[in-house]
Amino acid sequence: MDEFITVCPRNCYSTCSFKVQVENNKIRRILPCKENLATPEGPCIKGLSYIERAHSSQRIIHPLLKTSNGSFRQITLTEALNIISEKLSDIKRKNGPQSILWYRGSGISGLTNEIGNSFWRSFGGATTTYGNLCWPAGLEAVRLTLGSVKHNAPWDLENARTIIIWGKNPAETNIQEMAFIASAWEKGSRIIVIDPRRTPTADKADMLVSPVPGTDGALALAIARILINNNHINKSFIERYVSGFNEFINNLKITPEDAENITGIPVETIVELANIIAMNSPVTFLPGYGLQRHSNGGQTIRSVLSLAVLTGNIGKSGSGFNYANLQSYIFDSMKEPLSYYPDPVKDLPFRRVISMAKLGEDILKTSNPEIKAAWIERGNPLIQSPDTNTVRAAFAGMEFKVVVDQFMTDTASIADIILPAKDMFEQSDIVSSYWSPYIHFKPKILKAEGEVIPESEIYFHLAKRLNLQFNDKQIPEPGNDNIERWLEYRIRDYTDLTLNDLQNGPVIAPGYQEIAYEDMKFDTPSGKIELFSAAAEEKWGISPLPEYISNNLQECQQKYPLIFITPNTGSRIHSQFGNLDIIRSITPEPALEISPIDASRRNILSGDIIKIFNDRGEIKSLARISNRVPSGSVILPNGIWMDEWGGGNLLVSPEETDMGYGAAFHDTRVEVMKVN
Amino acid sequence: MRNGFIFNENYCVGCQACIAACVLENGWSFQPRCLYTFNSGAHPSLPLTNLSLACNHCEKPACLDGCPAGTFFRDSDTGAILIDEKKCIGCNYCKWKCPYDAPKYDYVKRVIVKCNLCYSGLTEGRIPACTSACPTGALGFGEIPEKVDNKNLSWFPDTNMNPAIKLQTNRRPVTLRIIPERSFDTVIVEEKDKKNIAGEWSLIGFSFLVTVSVAMLISSLMNGILTDKVLFLSLVISAGCLSLAHLGKIFRAWRAVTNIKRSLLSREIAIYLAYLFISAAALFSGYSLLILAASLTGLLLLIVIDNVYTSSDNRRIIILHSGQTFLTGLLIASFLSGMIYPFVFIAAIKLISTIYTITKNNVVTTPFWIRFFRIALLIIAGVSLLTGISYPEPVIIIIFLVGEFIDRILFYYDFNPLNINTLITEQINSAINEKKRD
Repeated sequence: MDEFITVCPRNCYSTCSFKVQVENNKIRRILPCKENLATPEGPCIKGLSYIERAHSSQRIIHPLLKTSNGSFRQITLTEALNIISEKLSDIKRKNGPQSILWYRGSGISGLTNEIGNSFWRSFGGATTTYGNLCWPAGLEAVRLTLGSVKHNAPWDLENARTIIIWGKNPAETNIQEMAFIASAWEKGSRIIVIDPRRTPTADKADMLVSPVPGTDGALALAIARILINNNHINKSFIERYVSGFNEFINNLKITPEDAENITGIPVETIVELANIIAMNSPVTFLPGYGLQRHSNGGQTIRSVLSLAVLTGNIGKSGSGFNYANLQSYIFDSMKEPLSYYPDPVKDLPFRRVISMAKLGEDILKTSNPEIKAAWIERGNPLIQSPDTNTVRAAFAGMEFKVVVDQFMTDTASIADIILPAKDMFEQSDIVSSYWSPYIHFKPKILKAEGEVIPESEIYFHLAKRLNLQFNDKQIPEPGNDNIERWLEYRIRDYTDLTLNDLQNGPVIAPGYQEIAYEDMKFDTPSGKIELFSAAAEEKWGISPLPEYISNNLQECQQKYPLIFITPNTGSRIHSQFGNLDIIRSITPEPALEISPIDASRRNILSGDIIKIFNDRGEIKSLARISNRVPSGSVILPNGIWMDEWGGGNLLVSPEETDMGYGAAFHDTRVEVMKVN
Repeated sequence: MRNGFIFNENYCVGCQACIAACVLENGWSFQPRCLYTFNSGAHPSLPLTNLSLACNHCEKPACLDGCPAGTFFRDSDTGAILIDEKKCIGCNYCKWKCPYDAPKYDYVKRVIVKCNLCYSGLTEGRIPACTSACPTGALGFGEIPEKVDNKNLSWFPDTNMNPAIKLQTNRRPVTLRIIPERSFDTVIVEEKDKKNIAGEWSLIGFSFLVTVSVAMLISSLMNGILTDKVLFLSLVISAGCLSLAHLGKIFRAWRAVTNIKRSLLSREIAIYLAYLFISAAALFSGYSLLILAASLTGLLLLIVIDNVYTSSDNRRIIILHSGQTFLTGLLIASFLSGMIYPFVFIAAIKLISTIYTITKNNVVTTPFWIRFFRIALLIIAGVSLLTGISYPEPVIIIIFLVGEFIDRILFYYDFNPLNINTLITEQINSAINEKKRD
């Protein structure tokens, strides 16, 4: 049996290293890889499920062509590539290359994804998206304040005396972090969770504070006010490293009493939180991404971050604001979120005119040229993008759609041609993490079944058929040796980093700061931490100071009284993994979680079939009454496929966050009714 | 020191990676490892505690001693308690014997299956899949002391089986304050499944028919009138056939007498067979000495049947339960032979124990009126016997037997072998009630 070290390439904090044992081209066993100090005990159920996923009978292993009656017919790869190249050149000839939408999701990460870029560049361009569905409002908020987005090493959490987990649910979305939290707790740290829900993470806390969804900014600013009034701030830290403190004080309008009205959290608790932050330092803040999926998301993150700044909890062991750690994103010429802003540098022939948050709407309104075709890879926009009905209509209006996927997702089912996507074990790659300090090599371990070839090879064959000009640095020749050579070439500038080193296990990114900002250097215009950010006003047209602005809830509260929250769960990464037998056998059937009060008002019992609706449409689901949900809100995890009571994004309005071009998923209201 | 599981609740977030790893490593179609959660309904007044549990490969495994078919054995290399699926008759008795919920019934294969400690991996130097997969390190495998005190977790069954698991103590008391506080009327308490005895019909039938047959024998001994051969034998034989019906593997039923040395159930079945043969011989020969021998074997059988249950659930409400077969056998015998004083005496015991059960039963499993109905039937039969009115009309006998049959059914409702699931339900309910009173 052969054993390899590899890495999970999903859009997940943990980016676990693990060992794979392979026998006869089958994954036999997945074991932890102790060399990765952030994930020494191994991956979660999703990582373990690769044993099934890699060989799943549900995998698409041959190209499929949609026939006139709407069903799919298996065709050969040669046929598929011929049809696609003809169609693409035809559409390019008639409407120009920018009439093709190149849509990429976050389904698998790695450097080889850049090869698609080279293809479309040599194709003459394409229309692409800007923004990101996940985290950009918070990234921008941190970038504006600290100049970069990074935090201490995951294991430094053990040195915190107080850990404030604010809108994050690591027990489901970053399980390995819970080991450091538990270890800190055993040493006597206080664990506080701020979340509308009683999450499994809250079950590990000393205190759960549940504000009304979307009001976290008001809570944070009220705490800031108390800290300042009680003189519980770190004055010397502020004098040396912070700019805009006086403006910040003068702008603090929210009193603890106001905050109680807005958030539902009593004044004495707000005072208590302020005292804990002041008295039990160092404090590490673990903000999640949920609280910034609101129209006020960026300002919310700036407000929470101000607490770490005022108390000097930056640049020290046991402290920090762990929003994201982009220290291992060394290969990006421009880091997120800047890299996905509309035309950050004029990058013709690409045209970035379609907002990720408003995908359907923007496709429909794009002209000169209109969008005639789409190439969708690594993504499932019919499940993950807001406003599904419009997205569906936008794709339906196109002449030609290619979807590259491993499974028959909702998006794959609307394709004209489906090309089978490689599994993570079927091509070598290099993967970074946004939580741990490591850069990983992901080796090719398995020979693919059927006619599955990696995307880089799909692009190579198409480029040949289309007679495009390219060299092997742009699009390497087929074969994993060529990919490894390409990877070697790609990382040639990083003298501390060789493919050889990476092949022996995860490597800490060159220049990594275990304690982020310990040099107290901040890459902001002033070189200081900016509570006052002129750039925030210039770029986003918002107050240069953190402010609480109530959310722009799209639906009428009388008609649709329930706030609709669509978080991530432990059994899925967005819309991935939920189709696997092992996942289905150990996790409950997807359902809308509703509070006992809201359920009894509507005569709903657990297990009832219900409809969830607003002006955007309606979906059916199952109800599950839960004490974990606050009254006034309902919870349906995102990423659930339509055929298993999911598709909550059908109800979500296509609205951008206040900064960073994110999607304000959680600014949605619905009503729920039993289906008789 | 010995090898065992080590579990630290502080690190367990209930992610179920242990369960997935177990299933994927062994290719099971079921889940030998489960997550047990105290306060799974997330009642806001209480913290929530997880425990990942499969088989603890005990020093004194009750499954191994209890199994009538000798299905369980200890692997000499690893100490793992394993099962030989080919021997299992699917009687589910081990599920009564194991309070840790380790044996699981595979409804497809119709046999018991359980954790095998990944024993083949152990011999190759790999720890069990569940323990190597735990992403937080909550569940581990390694050396633990010979004797472990796991009393720190109140709902972990405290037995003398010495399970090979060490539960780390919390170094700080677990509490969770939730703000804003929620009043009790805005919260639901999870309804636990009501006890389902549908699967027990064959056992109820077996034990009741045997009881009636023993009573018939004794009353014929008392009255000197030989009981009806056909009726008697059809009772005893159909009792045996009924008991076969609950087995997963009927054609292996003969294996049930292969563990007489250790298994009470195995002895029960052997005595049943002896009873069948002796009583048949007695009825066909008519020798009173044989009838006496058959009656004594019958009474012994009833005592052993009762023992099979009380050894699995030794709470007082079961030991003193009026639905026990020995007591019922004597009552029916005295009724059928018209012996007033023994009848009144035994009936009084039954009445007292029924009332005791009603007062002591903290898990109310049946509506009260059923128990009162059962008492009423007993009183009707008693009055008829005492006054002689309508005695011994078949209708009255039937009324009387229906009452006793209901009593036997109630016994199964009350019978609840020590089990982690029951302990969790009992303790969460009482904890919530306590909070409510505060």
